[in-house]
Amino acid sequence: MAVLSLALVGGSAFAENETTTKKGTIAYTPLTLSNPFFKIIGDHITAEAAKNGYDTLMLDPDMDVKKQSDQFDDFISSGVTAIILVPCDRLSIGPAVKAANAEGIPVFTVDAKCAAEGVEIVGHVGTDNFQGGELAGQAMIKALGESGGKVLVLDFKKAHSCVLRVAGFKKVIEAHNAGRTTGKIEIVAELNGNGARTEGYQSTADALQAHDDLDAVFAINDPSALGAYTAIEEAKRQDQIKIIGFDGQLDGKQAIKDGKIFADPIQHPDKMGRQIVQNIMKYLAGEEYEKDALIPATLYDKATADNDPDLK
Amino acid sequence: MKNIDYAKLFPDYGTLLVLLLLCIGFSAVTLEEQSPTTANAAKRLAKRMANELAPGSNVIVLTRQGGDGASFAAALKENLAKVGLTVAQTVVGQPADARKALVKQGETENVLAGIATDKHMANFCNANLTKISETHPSLAKAKVYQPQSYHWPNFLKKDNVLNIMKQISVVAIIAIGMTMIIITAGIDLSVGSLIAFSGVITALAIRGLGGDDPALGHLWLGSLAGVLICGLVGLFTGGLVTLFGIPAFIATLGIMFSARGLAFIFAESEPIVVQNEAFGWLGRGRDILGLPNSVILMLILFAIAHVLMTRTSIGRYIYAVGGNPEAARLSGVPVKWVLVFVYTLTGLLAGLGGVMEASLHVTGDPKAGNLVELQVIAAVVVGGTSLAGGQGKILGTLIGVIIIGVIRNGMNLTGVEAHMQSVVYGAVILIAVLVDRLKAKGIRLRKH
Repeated sequence: MAVLSLALVGGSAFAENETTTKKGTIAYTPLTLSNPFFKIIGDHITAEAAKNGYDTLMLDPDMDVKKQSDQFDDFISSGVTAIILVPCDRLSIGPAVKAANAEGIPVFTVDAKCAAEGVEIVGHVGTDNFQGGELAGQAMIKALGESGGKVLVLDFKKAHSCVLRVAGFKKVIEAHNAGRTTGKIEIVAELNGNGARTEGYQSTADALQAHDDLDAVFAINDPSALGAYTAIEEAKRQDQIKIIGFDGQLDGKQAIKDGKIFADPIQHPDKMGRQIVQNIMKYLAGEEYEKDALIPATLYDKATADNDPDLK
Repeated sequence: MKNIDYAKLFPDYGTLLVLLLLCIGFSAVTLEEQSPTTANAAKRLAKRMANELAPGSNVIVLTRQGGDGASFAAALKENLAKVGLTVAQTVVGQPADARKALVKQGETENVLAGIATDKHMANFCNANLTKISETHPSLAKAKVYQPQSYHWPNFLKKDNVLNIMKQISVVAIIAIGMTMIIITAGIDLSVGSLIAFSGVITALAIRGLGGDDPALGHLWLGSLAGVLICGLVGLFTGGLVTLFGIPAFIATLGIMFSARGLAFIFAESEPIVVQNEAFGWLGRGRDILGLPNSVILMLILFAIAHVLMTRTSIGRYIYAVGGNPEAARLSGVPVKWVLVFVYTLTGLLAGLGGVMEASLHVTGDPKAGNLVELQVIAAVVVGGTSLAGGQGKILGTLIGVIIIGVIRNGMNLTGVEAHMQSVVYGAVILIAVLVDRLKAKGIRLRKH
């Protein structure tokens, strides 16, 4: 009671009809901010939003869909202009998105899509993961050369984006193998790397026990690729086994420069962050924009790394 | 002059004071301009427009879809007609719809005098009207009207207060059982895993009973299954603690790992969607006076638990067991049964929490409830229950849960960075324990 009355006094002390220069707030809740990829997207969202006169409210659900749902409620309470979402779970986040829809707050997704039924997502910006997977396949062919070899794939089936990467990779490898009798590239195992160092390490260590003639690893992101490297280094086979990663995070890029990883198809989180805000601005102005924008991945190898000013 | 025992006041009202200060603080920092969308605001806006515009002038109404958008637009339309203005169009929609409406209006070449809007569409018009009227000159003179704004903290908006209560309801309900366990000087680490276990069992039972199109009865039966099975797990824990004398910490640690693993195995590692939106009733529904159902349930359970702990013999037994189990046994308290009771009750409540959590997302998720046991324990400790046993109050726990919820919500509203949120949580728990120690030492301050 006392709180209410105190706040009442405080509230009414302010004059009515005061105008502020701020146009509104754009909210961002990614999978997790511990992954630099989402932090870079967030930083570019903040910068682009500021350029357009908007504040940013960036929260970290830490991969927990319950926390992310709660954050949606908090966003609705603070009356944000738009919400940018990377779903922690593409189905369970549905009711929270619906709540925002009911309030008329537009919801955009970046990187990963929301697959719940009956939700309204007004725009998406993502990486063309299938094309990125094809790049990874081409890099693998280059890494193994004419002799071909045995490949381990570290996947993460829970994320649709990672499933697409593996599909693109396999398409190129199959095309390469078609009509060949020698020098085929054979996928001998597909294990769960969970997109993380720990599982990437464990799965690779297990695969090395089962296949002592392994020639290469394709990991669907940098943390699992680096976990794979640890296992390979432990087995003292780092000179024979080539690794292709994905993402192009800073430690992944450094590993490419150091020769630990052969190459990465890299995503462009900076472009994604800017693009999503530009789409929001177009939405708010009632203009046309690309509802499902895909940003192509590009290949990052040792030569690119040697010229990268961000690396030591 | 009368002596007041401040040390006695402090533990009783100390946590309430902390809560009060938090609320004041968060209200101050979330003070924002609010724009009303009530029928009254529409009436005032129409009057203001009638005063400034010539009678019979052309106006249009633009509001954003969702929330009160449709009702506000209808109220504006009605009031504008009443004050003698001509409403050419009423559009409730997204910015693209507003643009279309303005262009359409511009093409009629009837001079537009005013646009009645809510806050969102006013922003749209202020940003885009000049540009549009370059090609459609009949819009050039149109003035944009929006309701007079006022200042009020986002934190104290009714929706946000309900939002906080809804968010804490699962932790709060489990904290009832946890308070009793901690009063008996025990602990239960398994409750977070039981949330997932119960949610998965519930979703699977519903699917098993009703297939792809479960009826209402199946939802109830499935939920009951989830709650009861967790009750059985609690009974089992109670057995481990009393019959075999396994320390509660170890017994419940074992249950914690096993229940989590089983949840993943039963669910085949995938969240199980319940194919009937009615399942969201408990977690998302608002049936009585606009209060969330989960909050009503929470309040009822707290009222029952308060009576149980203060007015019944089982309540006295629970305190007695925690205070001194040997003395309790000698004075005829059935110590083992009391322990079995509190662990079973906590199992049931964790099961209920799991059903609520699953209901919120209309999904049984094996990942749910991760680390919730620590939030529950933190809330109980912050609420003034001593880990040494024998002391504690159910209502104190309610305040503890609210404090945790308010901090979380307040930091989210103000956009405090995640790692800093962790630091603050930790600090609050430490302060609470410090208060607990001071209380135990019985520091007394007296007024001269």
